[in-house]
Amino acid sequence: MLLPLLLLVPVGFAATHIATSGRADLGPMQVAAVYVVMMLAAHFVLVASGNRGDPLLLPLVATIGGVGIVLLNRLSPDLGETAAFGLDLDLVTTQILWFGVGMVAMLAVAIGLRDDRVLRHYKYSWALAGIALLVFTFLFGTEVNGAKLWIYLGPIGFQPGEFIKLVLVVFIAGYLAEHRTLLRDAVWRLGPIRIPPLPYLLPMLAIFVIVMGVVVFGKDLGTALLFFGIFLTMLFVATGRRSYVLVGLLLFLGGSFAASRLFEHVARRIDAWINPFADPSGAGYQTVQSLYAFGRGGLFGEGLGQSLLPTAGGRFFGVETDFIFAVVGEELGAIGAFALLALMMTLVFRGLRIAILARDDFSAMLAVGLTVSLGLQTLIIAAGVLKLIPLTGITFPFVSYGGSSLLASFLAIGLLLSISHRSAAGADADVAPTGGGP
Amino acid sequence: MIGTNVRRLALYLILSFAIVSGGLTWWQVIDAPTLAARQDNPEVIAARRTMPRGSIYDANGRLLASTRLVAGLSRRSYQDAAFTHVIGYASLRFGTTGLERAWDDVLSGRADPNPLTDLVNDILARQPTPSDMTLTIDQRLQDFAAAQLGADAGAVVAIDPRTGAILAMTSTPSFDATPIAGDPGTAGDAMARIQDRPGNPLVDRDRQGHYTPGSIMKIVTAAAALDSGAITPQTTFADQPRQETEGFVVQGFRVLEHDLSPVQPALWPLSEALQVSSNIFFAHVGLEVGSETYLDYARRFGFCAPLAIGPAPRVLSVAASFVTAEQDGDCADFSDRAELAQASFGQGRVAVTPVEMALVAATIANDGVMPEPYVVRDLRAHVNRPGNGPSDRILETYQPGGGARVVSSQTAAQVRRAMVDAVQGELGRLYAGAGAVSNYGISGVSTAGKTGTAELGPDTPPHSWFIGFAPAQGAATPAIAVAVIVESGGSGSGRAAPVGGAVMAEWLRLQQNGG
Repeated sequence: MLLPLLLLVPVGFAATHIATSGRADLGPMQVAAVYVVMMLAAHFVLVASGNRGDPLLLPLVATIGGVGIVLLNRLSPDLGETAAFGLDLDLVTTQILWFGVGMVAMLAVAIGLRDDRVLRHYKYSWALAGIALLVFTFLFGTEVNGAKLWIYLGPIGFQPGEFIKLVLVVFIAGYLAEHRTLLRDAVWRLGPIRIPPLPYLLPMLAIFVIVMGVVVFGKDLGTALLFFGIFLTMLFVATGRRSYVLVGLLLFLGGSFAASRLFEHVARRIDAWINPFADPSGAGYQTVQSLYAFGRGGLFGEGLGQSLLPTAGGRFFGVETDFIFAVVGEELGAIGAFALLALMMTLVFRGLRIAILARDDFSAMLAVGLTVSLGLQTLIIAAGVLKLIPLTGITFPFVSYGGSSLLASFLAIGLLLSISHRSAAGADADVAPTGGGP
Repeated sequence: MIGTNVRRLALYLILSFAIVSGGLTWWQVIDAPTLAARQDNPEVIAARRTMPRGSIYDANGRLLASTRLVAGLSRRSYQDAAFTHVIGYASLRFGTTGLERAWDDVLSGRADPNPLTDLVNDILARQPTPSDMTLTIDQRLQDFAAAQLGADAGAVVAIDPRTGAILAMTSTPSFDATPIAGDPGTAGDAMARIQDRPGNPLVDRDRQGHYTPGSIMKIVTAAAALDSGAITPQTTFADQPRQETEGFVVQGFRVLEHDLSPVQPALWPLSEALQVSSNIFFAHVGLEVGSETYLDYARRFGFCAPLAIGPAPRVLSVAASFVTAEQDGDCADFSDRAELAQASFGQGRVAVTPVEMALVAATIANDGVMPEPYVVRDLRAHVNRPGNGPSDRILETYQPGGGARVVSSQTAAQVRRAMVDAVQGELGRLYAGAGAVSNYGISGVSTAGKTGTAELGPDTPPHSWFIGFAPAQGAATPAIAVAVIVESGGSGSGRAAPVGGAVMAEWLRLQQNGG
C-alpha cells in the first residue's frame, strides 16, 4: 500500500528535473530517497511496536506529504535559501528535516501515549498553557504580513497558533465529553433558542473571546476562523444541535464585520476578496495571481516546473505556504487538485471513522477535533485561494512549507493513531473472553 | 449518539469539499479563458516575451508589422509610421495598444480563430500558432493622407460608405513604434523621447481627439431637420437676411454670422445656406427641430456613446462624441435654446471625433444607412518569412455588417444634393471648392462635402475641417467618404478641404488603375 504511493515522490522529482533542466536523466534524488526511507521506516516502527491503529493514515499522509515535497523541491530553486536550524538550507531540505522531526513526534505519541488521562484530566491546565502561549505571542511575537503569528527562539521561529490549535482541541474534547448531555438537553429558553445553563456556557464564551482575541490582537483571520470552526464542529458533534452552530456562525460573522469596521487590514482583505480585479497590482494582487495560476493550469495542468507564480510577478509571496494549492492547480491541473482534495477528504473520513469506533466520548471528541482541524484547515485555505471566502494566511496540511504546521499535523496523526490503536486493542480485549473462554 | 452526529458532520464536509471542487472547476475550466485574456496575466506577458506573433499586412498584402526572435526574445518591428495609431504597439515594457491590443489573443496565438481548433489545442496541450492579419486599409492611401497632413497636427479618416471598410485612418504627428516594441532595456528611453516631442504624438486623434466641429455639424442639423419634417429644402426664414448683419438673439444670447464676404445676405433656402454656411440659418433650423428631436437624431448618428471599429468582438474603441455637455458618458439635455442654436452650427458644447464625422459623411453617402466600420479584413495562416507577403491560406474573412438606418433615403438624397452644391455650387465653390476631386485630376466626378472652421476663441487659430464623399453625381454610388481635421489649420476651405479632395481623388485614381 505504502510503497507504490511513495514511488510518486522520486517520479515527481525526476519529472521536475527533466522539465526544468531539459535533460532526460533522473537528476538529484537524495531528498526523495530520504523521504521514501523515512516513511518506510516510520511504517516499520509502527508495525514493530504492535500499533494497531488505522492502517490507512500513514499511507495517506505519506502521499499528501509526498505531493508537498515534490512541489517544494520544484519551488526550492526559485525561492532561495532560508535560515533554519541555525544553517542556511534550501527550502526542501529544511522541509525534509521537519518531516523527520514530525515523524518522530508522531511515532512518540502513537506508541508512547498508552493512556489519554494525561490529556483528559489536565484539560484546564492545557487550556491555561494554550492561553498563556497566545498572550505571549501577542506580547512578544513578530509581525509578518500584518498578522502576529511568530515567536523566535534564537534561530528557530515557530507559530504558536499551530500548537494552540491542538491544545484547544484537547480542552474542548475534554470539556464536551464531560458536559455533553447537559449541553444537549439544555432547558433554559431565550425566545425560540434553548440555551444551556449559564455556568456551563461560560467556558464556551471564553473560547469565543479567545478566538476574537486572535482576530483583534493577532490580526489573524485565518487562525481565528479555523479555531472557531473546530469549536463549532465539535460542539455540533457533541450535542447534535445545529442552532449552536448557527448562533456561533452569526456571532463570528458579526465579530468579523465589526473587525472589518475597526481594522483597516481586515477591511482591505474583504475588499480584495469581493473584487480583486479592481486593484490587480495592489490589494488584489495575491488573489488575482492565484486565480491566474489556476486558470493557466486548466483541466490537465501545465506540468511540474511550469508554474509562473513564483517568478512571473517577482513579488508574489507565500507561494510555498498559503498559495501552494494554486501551484498544485497550475502544474497538476484541476485533475491534480481534485486528487489532492480527495486524498485529504479520505484522510478526514478515516479520522471520523476513528471517532465513531472510539471507546469513549473523550476519545471520540478528540478524534473529531483533530480530524476537523486538518479538514477545515484544508477547506479554508483552498477556498481562500479560490476566492470562495476571503483569503486568510494558513497552511495546507502536509503540503505547505513550514515546520510548526508540519509538526502539529503529525502530532494530530500520532494522536489519531493512538486513539484508533486503543479502540482496536480494546475491541480485542472485549472479544477475547467470550471467544476463547476462560 | 456521537456516531450519528459524526456521520452528519461527514455529509457537511463532503458538501464543503464539493463546493471547493466547484470553485476549482469554475476557475480552472469555465472561467479560464477570461482569465487568460487579461493583460496583466503573467501568461500573456510571458507569451509576448518569447513567442512568435502574427504579422499585419495592408489590403494589398504589404507588410506593416512583424516579429522576429532575437536570442529567444520576440522583437516587434513596424514598417510605416502612418499606421502607428491604428495598429498600436505590442511592447514588453508598455503593454499593447490599438489593433495589437484588440487582436492580442489571435496575434499571439493564445486563441485560435476557430473555437474547435482551440479546444483540440487545449486538450493536446499544443501551442496554438499565431495568425496573420490583413487590414482593409490601403497603405498607398494611408501614406498619401499622412503626407497631405505633413507637419501639421491632424487626422484623416476614409471609409468605404457601402461596406464600412476603413480605407485610411491616420493621425499626425506620428512616431515609429519599433523602439518601444523592441529591446525592453531601451524602450523606456524611446518612450520618454516620444513623449517629449511637441504635439502629443501618442494620441490617436482619429479615435480619441475631441474637437469642436464648426460648420460640418450643419450636415447633422440638416439631416435631422429634413427627416423630422421641421423644414423642407425650400424653407426660408424671413428674419435671416437682417439677422446676418444684426445678429440673432436667442434667450439673450446673440448668434453672430461669420464673415460671409464676398457674398451679400439674402433670403436663402437650404442649398444656398449650406453653400455660404450661414450660422443664422442653421440656428433657426436647429430651433425648429427642437431639443429632444435634435438629441434623438444625434444619437442615431452615433453621438453620445463610444463607437467601435470592428469586426466585433475585437474592436478598436472610439471615444464618444457629444452635442451637449457630457453627463455620465451620455449627452446631457440642452441647457437652453441658446445652446441648441449654437450646437446646430457646430459650436456650443459640441465635441466630436474624426471617426464620428467620417461616419456622418458615410451615412449620407450610403443612402441614409450608417455602415458598421471595420478595419480587419481577414486572418491568415502565419508565415515565417513575412517579407514574402501573406499566406494564401485564409482562416477567417470578415463580412461587412448591415449598418443601421439613420435617416430616410429621401433625406439622404436631399442632403447629398445640398452637399454637392456646397462644394461645386455657384456660391459653394467660393468656400469649399478646394474639396472637389476635379482639382486633383479626376474629371467627370462630382464631390459632396462641407467645410468647417471650429472657432476656439480670439487668440487661437481655428481648427480646419472637411467632410465629404465622391462620386456624388446623380445616381453614382460613392466609393469613399472622408473626414479631415487640421489642428489650428485656419479656415476649412484653406487647409482641410484640399486634403479631403486630394485623398478622395487619390483613392478614385487607385481604383481606376485597377486597385
